[in-house]
Order: sequence, then structure tokens, then C-alpha cells
Amino acid sequence: MIALPAAVTIAALIDHVPGLAFGVPLVLTAAIVFAATHHEDPAAIRAATLEWIGWLGGILGAVLVAVAALGWLA
Amino acid sequence: MPRTDPAPTDRLVAVSPDDGSLIGLANPAVAALLSWLVPGLGQIYQGRRLKGLLFMGTLVTTFVFGLWLGGGRVVYASWQPGEKRWAFLCQAGIGTAAIPAIVQSWRLVGPAKEPLFASPFMAPPLFRGQPVSPAYAARLAAIDPDIDADDFRPTPPWQQFRPFPPPGMLDRRPADQLSIWHRRLGRFFEIGTLYTMLAGMLNILVVYDAWSGPMRAATESAGERRR
Repeated sequence: MIALPAAVTIAALIDHVPGLAFGVPLVLTAAIVFAATHHEDPAAIRAATLEWIGWLGGILGAVLVAVAALGWLA
Repeated sequence: MPRTDPAPTDRLVAVSPDDGSLIGLANPAVAALLSWLVPGLGQIYQGRRLKGLLFMGTLVTTFVFGLWLGGGRVVYASWQPGEKRWAFLCQAGIGTAAIPAIVQSWRLVGPAKEPLFASPFMAPPLFRGQPVSPAYAARLAAIDPDIDADDFRPTPPWQQFRPFPPPGMLDRRPADQLSIWHRRLGRFFEIGTLYTMLAGMLNILVVYDAWSGPMRAATESAGERRR
């Protein structure tokens, strides 16, 4: 078995990742930073992170659905 | 050695919105500067280690991942006609990690006409007819599969990148390095740009947190819990 360098393998895999999936880490990052800049207690940061993921995911999901619907109707 | 005479700024505090406890801000200006230079470093300086490490891990990872997705090409500063890199204004929020782009841009358009160590890392793209140093031209021809020695015309003391073709002739090659990058990276150029921009913009919130504490105001119930 030929062992490919890890970087090459990851680069080959990432080509097959759907574009929308790249939004997930961004939503997660934004939610963590929003939560941590609004709270100090770790438990409160965790709870607020989940809340922000819901808000950001919901808003972006709604925009996505609206754009998809417009594309479908066009 | 314990400090016996704290500076006046050491007494600056913020109130936690969660339990009403006091958060020492040390010197907020220094903390904000540190957080701009390295995300979360200001919070660590203030003794808020958990938050500092959280910011550092999250934002540095996002920035580096975006830079990797974009083949190391998406963070550059350029203010040349035709290519004003507005995205860099957001990317610069990450601090130290974006500073090489400013140095490379200044070096490439300045009298040296080559980036530091003739390295293309974070250097802005070349445009048609742009003069560069012979060392940088040779380096690009050696490491970039889309550029070879024929792409440069000697115009002593410089080498001109893909000069304008003579009248009546058509040059079908991309006119600039940015087009080459877009063609090679495809969607990852935009995705990498987005990741690095977001990391830089979010770090502005982190800087504000280091300057004045959590953005959410303490509620009366939090104050009651503290009492």
C-alpha cells in the first residue's frame, strides 16, 4: 500500500466537500466568539454558543431556503 | 515578585454579566493591543486564560485554515489600480498574522521591486507589465508551474512581467497573476478569503472584550447573586 502524504490526502478529500459544508465551521467560530465576548462564565459561554448557533444557522438557513425557492421559481 | 504598588490602571474592572463578579482588566490599552497582535493574548495578560485560549484556538485555526484553503495566496495587500484588495482591511484585524502582507506589498511596489527574501508568501499578485527584480522573476519561474522565464522581458535593471503584446498580436495567457490564482484555486480562493476575513473581523470583537470586558451588561439578578 502506498502511503500518501497527509497534506495531499486532505487536499484530495477537500475537493469533494460540498461548498455549503464550509459554512459550518464559520458559523461555529462566529457563535463561539459572539458568546465568549458577551459572557465570562464557561457554562454561560457554552449555553450562549448553542443559542448563537441556533440564531446564525436559522437566519442563514432561511436565506438559503429563500434563494433556493427563488431559483426554483425562476 | 509580588506587586505592592499597583498602577492606577490595574484597578480598572468590568462586571461579569453572569454572576456579577469583578473582572480585572489590568491595563486595557495594553490588553487590547496584545489581543490585536495575537487573538486572545490580551485576555491571557488579564488573567482570563480560558477565554484567551478559546479565542486564540478558534481564530488562529480559522485564519490558518482559510490561508491553507486559498493555497497561501488569499492574504495580501494591494492598492494598485485595478486591484484594490478591500478584503485585506478585514483580514488585518487578525494582527501579527497579517503584517507580512503589508511588508510584502511595500517591498514589491517599492524601490526593491521584490518581496522579502524574494518569497511569494503573502506577496500581492503581479500585473501585466509590472517590473520586478531579476531574483524574484527567477524565483517565480522556478516555483510557479504557470509562470516560466519567457513570461518576463528584461528591462534593465528589472524584469517586466508579461509585457503588453505588440500591436496586432494577441496574448492568450492570463494577463495577471491573480487570474492564474483564480483559475488554479477555483472556489477555494473565495472560501479562503472568507475564512481569513471572518477571523480578522471577529478579532475586533475580541479586542473590544480585552478593552472593556464582556459586551453584555450585568443584570440586577447577577448583582444580587454576587451579594
